[in-house]
Amino acid sequence: MIAPDAAAELRAERRFDLIAAILIGLIALLAAVLAATQIYASEAATRANMRAARLADDLSARISVSSQALDSAVGAQEVALALGMESASRQLTGIQHGDDATVAVGAAQERAFDKLRKALAATSDTTGNAPVDAYTRGLLEASTADLQKELAEQNRQVDLANEAGSREQRAVLGLSFLALAGVLTGLGAVLRESRAGWIALVAACAIAGGAGALAALTLL
Amino acid sequence: MPAYGELFEPTESESSAVAVSEMAVASPERGHGGVAILLTIAAVVAAIVGARVSMVSSAASDSWQSALRAEVKRSAGAMDDVRYLYQTELPVAIRILEARLVQGELQAAAATTTGLAGEALQVEADVQAGIASGLISSSDLAAKPDYALPSGGFDLGKRLADLRAQNPALMALDPDGLEAAGDKLAHKAELLTLALFPTSIGAFLGVLAQPFKRRRGLLLAAGSAALAAGALMALGVEALA
Repeated sequence: MIAPDAAAELRAERRFDLIAAILIGLIALLAAVLAATQIYASEAATRANMRAARLADDLSARISVSSQALDSAVGAQEVALALGMESASRQLTGIQHGDDATVAVGAAQERAFDKLRKALAATSDTTGNAPVDAYTRGLLEASTADLQKELAEQNRQVDLANEAGSREQRAVLGLSFLALAGVLTGLGAVLRESRAGWIALVAACAIAGGAGALAALTLL
Repeated sequence: MPAYGELFEPTESESSAVAVSEMAVASPERGHGGVAILLTIAAVVAAIVGARVSMVSSAASDSWQSALRAEVKRSAGAMDDVRYLYQTELPVAIRILEARLVQGELQAAAATTTGLAGEALQVEADVQAGIASGLISSSDLAAKPDYALPSGGFDLGKRLADLRAQNPALMALDPDGLEAAGDKLAHKAELLTLALFPTSIGAFLGVLAQPFKRRRGLLLAAGSAALAAGALMALGVEALA
C-alpha cells in the first residue's frame, strides 16, 4: 500500500524541482541576453568615447592650425600696410620740410609696399596648396562651418557614450542579480521543499525577474 | 521517494495514485547521464565562446585606443610643423622679403638720383641689405630658391610639405585604419556573442529534461541540436569574420 499523503508530498516536491529547473534554465537564457547586451553596450561606449576623444583632438588641431594660418595672413598684410604708412609718412614729412631725400626714400618705400603687398598675398594663397598632404590641408583650411559641424558630431558621440555606458551598467547589474538568483536557487535545491527552501526559491524568482526587467530595459 | 532531482511531468489531471505508481515503475537513473553531459558541454561551450568574445572585444578596444593615440600623435606633429612654419620661419622671411624689396627700390632710386638725396637713398638701401643678410641664415623659407614664387613671395605649401616629410613616421600614421580594424573586430565579437543564445537554449532544454521525464529524450535531442548550432555558429564566425 502507498500512504495517501505520499502523492501530495510527491507533488510538492515535483513542483519545487520543476520551478527550480525552469528558473535555472531562465537564468541561463537571461545570462546570455545580458552578456550579449553588456558586450554590445561596452563596445558602443568604448567606440563612442574613442570617437569623441578623436574628434575633440581633431577640433583642437583644426582650430589651432587654421587660426595660425589666418593670423599669419592678416599679420603679413599688417606688415605690408605698416610699410605703406611709413612711406606715406616719410613723403609727407619730406614735403613739409622740403627734404628731397626723405621724399625719395618714402617714394621708394611706396613702390616696395605695392610689391610687398602682392607678394604676401601670393604667399598666403599657397597655404594648404599641393604638395601638402590631405590631412594637414584639412587642418589649414577648416572653416567655421566645418568646425561647428564637427563640434556637433563630437557632442553627439559624447551623448552616445553616456547612453551606452548607462546600458552597460544596467546589464552588469542584471548579471549580478542573476548570479545572486543562481546562488539562491542552489541554496533552495539544498534546503529542498522546506519553508526555507521555498523562501530561497521565491527570492531567486524575484531577483531573476529583476534581472529580466533590467535585460528588457537594456534592450530598449 | 524518488531519487534526488528525479521527477515526473506535472499534469493537473493526473491522479496522485497514477503519479506514485509511475514513480514506482520508472527507472530513476534513466537519462540523468544525458542531462549531465548536455549541461556540462553547454557550460564548456559557453565558457569558450565567452572567453573568445572577451578576447576579440578586448582586441577591438585596443585597436580603438591605438587609433586615438595615433590621432593625438599625428595632430601634434602637424601642429608643430605648422607652428614652426607660420610662427617661426614666416615672420622672419617676411621681414627679409620686405628688406629686399625696399632695398631694391632704394637702390634703383639711388642710381638715378644725385646729391644728398642719392646718398641718403644709398644709405637706406645699405641698411635694408644689412637687415636681409643678417636674417637670411635663420630662414630656410627665404634662403632656398625652391620656395620662391615668381611674384616674390614664398611657397608655403611646398615648405610645409618638406617640413612634414622630415618625419615620415608621423606621416604614415593612420588612425582611420586602426579605427576600421577595431570596428571589424567589434563586429566579430558581436557575431560571436550570438552563439551564446543557442548555447543557452541548449542548456535551458537540458535543464527542463530533468523534471519533464517523459519528454526527456526529445528535450535532450533538441538541446543537443541547439548546442551544436551554437558551437557551429561560433566556429563559422571564427572562420569567416
